[in-house]
Amino acid sequence: MTIALSITDVHVTLGHNHVLKGVSLDVRPGEFVTLLGASGSGKTTLLNVIAGLQAVDSGHLTFDGVSMERTPPQKRNVGVVFQSYALFPHMSVGENVAFPLRAARRPARERKSVAEEMLALVQLPGMAGRSPASLSGGQRQRVALARALAANPGILLLDEPMAALDKQLREQMQVEVTRIQRKVGITTVSVTHDQTEALTMSDRVAIMRDGILVQVDSPEDLYRHPVDEYVAGFLGEANLLPTAGGRILDDAAGAEVDGTAVVRPEDLELVPSGEACPAWHVEGAIHLLSFQGTRFRLELLTDGGRKVVCSLPPSIDASTLVVGERARVACRNPERVHVIAATPATAAMVAA
Amino acid sequence: MSSTVGRSLGWYRVPVVVVALLASLLLIVPFVILVATSWTGGSFILFPPEGFSLQWYTEVLDDPRWMDSFRLSLWTASLSTLIAAVLGLLGAVGLARVRSRLAQRWIRTLFIVPIALPPIAYAVGLYGVNMELGFLRGTLVTLIVGHALVALPYVFVIVSGGMSRIDPALRPAASTLGAKWPLVLWKIELPALLPYLLSGALFAFVVVFDEVVLAVFLVPPGEQTLPLRMLNASQEAFSPELTAASTLVSILAILVLAIIPVTNAVRRRRALEGVTR
Repeated sequence: MTIALSITDVHVTLGHNHVLKGVSLDVRPGEFVTLLGASGSGKTTLLNVIAGLQAVDSGHLTFDGVSMERTPPQKRNVGVVFQSYALFPHMSVGENVAFPLRAARRPARERKSVAEEMLALVQLPGMAGRSPASLSGGQRQRVALARALAANPGILLLDEPMAALDKQLREQMQVEVTRIQRKVGITTVSVTHDQTEALTMSDRVAIMRDGILVQVDSPEDLYRHPVDEYVAGFLGEANLLPTAGGRILDDAAGAEVDGTAVVRPEDLELVPSGEACPAWHVEGAIHLLSFQGTRFRLELLTDGGRKVVCSLPPSIDASTLVVGERARVACRNPERVHVIAATPATAAMVAA
Repeated sequence: MSSTVGRSLGWYRVPVVVVALLASLLLIVPFVILVATSWTGGSFILFPPEGFSLQWYTEVLDDPRWMDSFRLSLWTASLSTLIAAVLGLLGAVGLARVRSRLAQRWIRTLFIVPIALPPIAYAVGLYGVNMELGFLRGTLVTLIVGHALVALPYVFVIVSGGMSRIDPALRPAASTLGAKWPLVLWKIELPALLPYLLSGALFAFVVVFDEVVLAVFLVPPGEQTLPLRMLNASQEAFSPELTAASTLVSILAILVLAIIPVTNAVRRRRALEGVTR
C-alpha cells in the first residue's frame, strides 16, 4: 500500500524562524529519497510536516493526490523511525512492534502474529519477550523499523536513522534498511547529514540548504552535475576553478569568467613536463603529498593561490613529487569536467 | 572514608568529617534519647531511663483511645493521600501538555506555593468554611480536603520530575502509530510515572499523618487524630506514654519511606534481567 508523496511550495515558520521557504518535492511510489543537509537546514522539519507533527503555514501536501494538511498524524498512516528510536520502555519488544495494531484495536492474536512476522523481517526472530533496554543499538533500530512498518503504512519516514550507531554498524544497517525497504517496496523519505549514507541508500537525494531544496537528483547526477558550488562542495571533494572558454583560468583578474569548473580529484592525473597538455589543466607548486593506502593525495597551490586536490593511483612513482617543485595536472576526459555557468553574481564572486 | 571525594579532599577531610559527624549527631541524638526514655521502668520521662521495660508500649497499644486515634489518622491520611495522588498526577500530566512555556512556569509555581504557605492559613480558612456550611460541621471532610491540599505539592513535584524524564519523542511516536491520548496516557506515560507516583504518595502520606495544625482546627469534638492526641498528651500528663507513642509513629514513618528504595531495587533487578514479564 505504498503511496506517491507530493509536496508543493510548503512554508513553515517556527517562532521568528522561517524554517521552510517554499519546498516542493515529488516522490514516486516505492522510491527512496533522502533529504541531505547541514543541521538547521530544515530537513527534520520537512519530515515532521510529512508525518503531521508540524503544521504548515502555507503550501500543499498530498498522499496519492489526497490532501493531508488537515489530517492528524494518527490518521496519516505513516511509519516513522525517530532518531532516538522512541521505543516504549515499559513494553516488551513484541508489544512495541504491535503497538500500532493495538491503537487500531486489532485482536490480540493478530497483534502477536504481526509482531512475529515483522520481527522476522528485521531478522530479530524470537525477541518479542525481551525488554527494549536489554537490546543493543542496532537491535533497537531494527525494532523501531519493525514497529514503523507493522501497520502497513503508505510511507516510511526515517529521521537520522544511523546517527546513534557506531561506524561499522552504520554501514551494515544502511545495507539492511535498504534491503527491507526494497522488499516491502514502501515509499521512503529519510533525513541525514551523512553524505555517504545518502549516496548509499537513496534512489534520489534532495540537497537542502536554509529551508530550500537546492537540487534533487540521483546520487550520480548530484556528484557529476551539481547545480551550484554548494552542492559540489557538499558531496565529496571537489576542485572549484574559474573557467573561460573551455579552459581553467587561474589568474582570473581582468578576464571574462564564464563559469566554475567542478573537477573531482580522482579525474585529475599528472602530466609529465614536455608532454602536451589537454585543455583542462592546471599548474602549481606541490604543497602536500600524502599516502592514503588506496591513493596518493596531492595538493597543488596555483599561482593564483588556489588549492587543487588531486587523487593519484598508488602505483605512480612518487619520488618525482617533491614539495615545492612545480607540477601539472589535467583531466583528459572533458566529459568529466562539469561547468557551472556563471550568473552575474557568482561571476563576481569567483573572480574575487 | 575511602570514597573518591574523601581521598581527593586530602587532610582537609578531617574537619569536614568532624562537622558532618556533629551534624548527624544533632539529628540523631534527640531521637535516640526520645526512644531511650520510652524504655523506662519508672513513670517519668527521664534520661538515662530507669531500668528497661516495655510497659509504656503496652500501655499505648492497649489503650483504646490511642488506638482509635491511630486508626483515625490512618484512614484520614490515606484518603487525603489518595486525593492528592490523583490530583497531583493529573496536574503533572496535564501541565506537560500546556504549549506555552510561560504558562507552564506559572502553573508549576502555583502548584508548589502551598508548601511555602503556613498551614495555619489553610486551617483558619477551612475552619471558616466549616462554620459557614452547616452540613460540614462535625464531619472530617474539611480535614481530609485540607490535608489533601497540603499533600498535593509533594505528589505534583515528584511526578513532574518523572514526567520530564520521559523521552519527549515518545508521544509524537505514539501519535504517528495511530494512538490517541488515552492510550498514550495508559500504556506509555502511566507505567513510566508509577514509581514517581508511589514515592510522591508515600511522602505525602508521611507528611499528612504527622500534620497537627489543621487537625487542631478541623477535627470535630470528641475525636482526636494521633498527632493531636500526642500534642494534648504533652500538655497534660508528661508521661513516657508520649515518647513511646512518638517512637511508634517514627518507626511507622521510616517503614513507609523505606518502601521507596526497596521497590526501586526490585525494579532495577528486573530491568537487569532484561525481561518485562
